[in-house]
Amino acid sequence: MDSETIFETVDLRKEFGALVAVDDVSMKVSRNTLHAIIGPNGAGKTTFFNLLSGNIAPTSGQVIYKGRDITHQPVHQTIHFGIGRSFQISNIFPNLSVFENVRLASQALGADNFKFWQAASAFKKYEERTWAVLERVGLTERANTFARTLPHGDQRKLELGMILAPDPEVLLLDEPTAGMAAEQVPELIALIQEIQRTGDKTVMLVEHNMNVVMRVSDRITVMHQGAVLAEGTPTEITANKDVQTAYLGGLYELNV
Amino acid sequence: MAKDTLFSTLKQNQGMLFTLLVFILLPFVVGLFNGASPAQVWLNESGHSKFIQGLAIEIFILALYALSYDLIFGFTGLLSFGHSMFFAVGAYLTGILLKSFGFSLAATFGMLFLAGIVQALLFGMVLPRVKGITFALVTLGMASVFHVLVISTELGEYTGSDVGLQGVVVPAFISPASERLRLYFVTLTILILVFLLYKRFVNSPTGRVCTAIRENEGRALMLGYNTFFFKLAALMLSSLTAALAGGLHTIYQPIVSPNVAGLGYTVTALLIILIGGVGTLNGALVGAVVFRLLDYGLRRYIGESASFINGAIYVAIVLFLPYGIVGTWKLKSMNLRQGWDRLLGMLNTASKEK
Repeated sequence: MDSETIFETVDLRKEFGALVAVDDVSMKVSRNTLHAIIGPNGAGKTTFFNLLSGNIAPTSGQVIYKGRDITHQPVHQTIHFGIGRSFQISNIFPNLSVFENVRLASQALGADNFKFWQAASAFKKYEERTWAVLERVGLTERANTFARTLPHGDQRKLELGMILAPDPEVLLLDEPTAGMAAEQVPELIALIQEIQRTGDKTVMLVEHNMNVVMRVSDRITVMHQGAVLAEGTPTEITANKDVQTAYLGGLYELNV
Repeated sequence: MAKDTLFSTLKQNQGMLFTLLVFILLPFVVGLFNGASPAQVWLNESGHSKFIQGLAIEIFILALYALSYDLIFGFTGLLSFGHSMFFAVGAYLTGILLKSFGFSLAATFGMLFLAGIVQALLFGMVLPRVKGITFALVTLGMASVFHVLVISTELGEYTGSDVGLQGVVVPAFISPASERLRLYFVTLTILILVFLLYKRFVNSPTGRVCTAIRENEGRALMLGYNTFFFKLAALMLSSLTAALAGGLHTIYQPIVSPNVAGLGYTVTALLIILIGGVGTLNGALVGAVVFRLLDYGLRRYIGESASFINGAIYVAIVLFLPYGIVGTWKLKSMNLRQGWDRLLGMLNTASKEK
């Protein structure tokens, strides 16, 4: 396994008043791995993701991507660095078509955003990209429906499609299967694995489904009350006493 | 092949072309009804036709103004309560430059262009700091300052204070009195050109991002769009259009009442697009026609209580046509089309199963 570090945080900290949501987290993520972050509700996983993607600014600490400090870069730059981020609660353009949702994601990194004298449909490369992405996430048939009318599971796929469209190197996926029907989960997870392997991508995944996490992850970081409790391979994490007592023991049944 | 595309383009826009034809023929048809030959209309000798042309010019100007508001509110989601300032700056600047400074018409419109850019930048300055209702209030504040300025006695020499700007001398070749038909077609042409520009803009890569900002700005940012510049672009185009509408208003009237700088005139723009359909360009046009004709008709035939009935009709429109005339029409026709598609789909599968 290639162990070159692509993403790194140094003593990253976020306080909301007296609450320390992320408590001096230092973490290294290797290139081309699937790195899962688990932890009970309120462990600070989503806040941590928000810090990585620049949605919120940390109280202190650094986010380093490919050796560059990106801690205080504006949020619209994140994808330009090659970091795509999906949301736990579907974050889409509800009154635009599924196609337009993905097309907008495809267009963003091009150099045509201010060509207001030309029709958007004249830029075939974005449309072709959009069809390719829709095909990949299985929404081709739904291209012309309004995003808000999609069933929840399809909205999750759209969410994924919107971060695949600009083809980022790192995908931050915040509970991509949240609220999905159980039978749809394996399909989506298989897709994420396939994307990670075939596209040389680094995937960071927040996920609650332990079976999924243990099966697909290369590395796992366990967060608890804002801090890192443990980090290691799935086998190491399963064997870790701290993790068992603090988290896995009472809450989840493991079938690894 | 080229012929085919031309034909299909014409066919797709047949409604628009028909409307255009109506407006081209309108002055002459009205003249004929009142016994004036087209030649007399051509020479601006038919009083009744001139009157209708005047009403139409007012509608064209209102439509321009409503379009400019629809672009920022309906398409980009920026709620501005200071939009009347965009219009009033154009109106006053045109009047003052023509009257007090003796500018030529071309130079005046050049200055209008500059003023349009400056006021968009002024509104744009606060864009990164305030959102939603706060933006509405800040813009209201800016427009109020302008309103206070134009009614102040200190500037009365130029603006005419609360009486308004009067005695603007419009160049003879476009005079609303002696060359009204020419003014009619100039205004109509400007409206058509602006409408086409807007149609292109909202379907361009830039305009699509504006719509995305309206829908979910946070997500547009995450997709990598620096939304500030898109909102500024929409403001810029909107401000230029409103200033142009204001300039045409001064040329047609040719007086400027301080009312056009007040909050009430922003509400006029809002009302027009609510009537026509927020976020639809055709809606701004339809809304302007309905708004002006209702106002005129009620005032003429009912008199005193016109505003009351007017208000009641607006409430009814909002209640029964929540998406405006064009918006509701589009929705219904889409539902109908989808219904037919579903029916055809069912019949198709049924026949296959046989």
